Amino acid sequence: MENLYIEGYRDDFFVPSVKFDAAAGKLEISGESYLEDTIAFYQPICDWLNEFLDDDTMPVTFDFKLSYFNTSSSRSILDILFILKDFEDRGGKLKVNWHYDKDDLDMKEEVEDYIIESELKINIIAE
Amino acid sequence: MQNQHPDIHELFQLYDTDILLSYKGPFDKLILFTLGTYIEQILEAEIATAKKLFKIFIELAQNIAYYSAETDGYTKGESVGIGSLVIGRYEKYYNFVTGNVIDNQQVTPLVEKCKTINLLSRDKLREYKRLQRSQPRGDRGSAHIGLIQVALYSGKPLDVQVTQIDDKKSFLAIGVKIQK
Repeated sequence: MENLYIEGYRDDFFVPSVKFDAAAGKLEISGESYLEDTIAFYQPICDWLNEFLDDDTMPVTFDFKLSYFNTSSSRSILDILFILKDFEDRGGKLKVNWHYDKDDLDMKEEVEDYIIESELKINIIAE
Repeated sequence: MQNQHPDIHELFQLYDTDILLSYKGPFDKLILFTLGTYIEQILEAEIATAKKLFKIFIELAQNIAYYSAETDGYTKGESVGIGSLVIGRYEKYYNFVTGNVIDNQQVTPLVEKCKTINLLSRDKLREYKRLQRSQPRGDRGSAHIGLIQVALYSGKPLDVQVTQIDDKKSFLAIGVKIQK
C-alpha cells in the first residue's frame, strides 16, 4: 500500500498536512483545515483509510494535530473517526491521539464532543 | 448639488464607537482570506481572543457567502453573497456584527434557530451541535452548525435582528460579543 502525503499550505484557504505511512502504521493530520471544497479534499483520505484499514492487523497510531478547522471540515473529521471506530470494532489495534494547545479550550471541548459522537477512545494531549 | 458618490462622512459618523473594521461588499474567498488574516493578527488582542474572532469571522462570513439573497459576481466566474461586517471595540469586549439580505420565508426558521441556541446551556448546546452534525450535509456545508459553533466560541447569546425590506426580502443582522 502506498503512503499518502499531502503537504499543507495556506493560500486563500488552509490545507492541512496529511502523512499516512502505511508500512509503519503511523497516520497523522496536522495544521489547519478550511477548504474551498471540503468533501473533495477528504474523500481520497477516507478512501485511503478504508482500503488500508480493511485487511490489516498491524497496530495503527493516528495523531491529530489540527490547530483549527471550520465546521464544514469538522464533519469530514467525524467521518474519519467513524472509519477508525469501525476498524477498532473489527478487532483492529488502534491508538488515537489528539494534540492541542493547552490554552485552546474550544479545541478540548471539540475533541470531547468527538469522543461522545464516535464512541472512540481518544487520548487528549495538552501541549 | 446632488451627491454623485455615497456620503462617506455620514457613514463615518454613523458609528459612535471605536470601529476596528467595517466592510460592505461581496464575501468572496479573497475577502475572507484578507479580512480573516487581518482579524487573526489584531495585535492588541490576546492570541486566544484573536483566534476566537477569526473562527467566528470564518463561520459568519461563509454564511453570507453561501446564503445571502443578494449576490454578485465580482470574482471571476463566481457568484458570491453580499453582506456587511462591523467589528466594534469596547472596553471589555469586541462586538462582531454581520448582516445580509435574506428571503422572507427564511426569517422564521433562522430566528427560531437562534432562539433555541440562546435558550440552551453550554452542555445542551454541545449536545445540539453533535445532533446537527450527525444529520446529512446540506448543499454547502451547514449554516446551522456554524451558528451553534459561533455561540459556543462566543459563550454569549446571539443577538439577532430582522428588518423587513419589502414583501420578499428582509435584512438579517447577527451580533456576537467576544470577551477581551
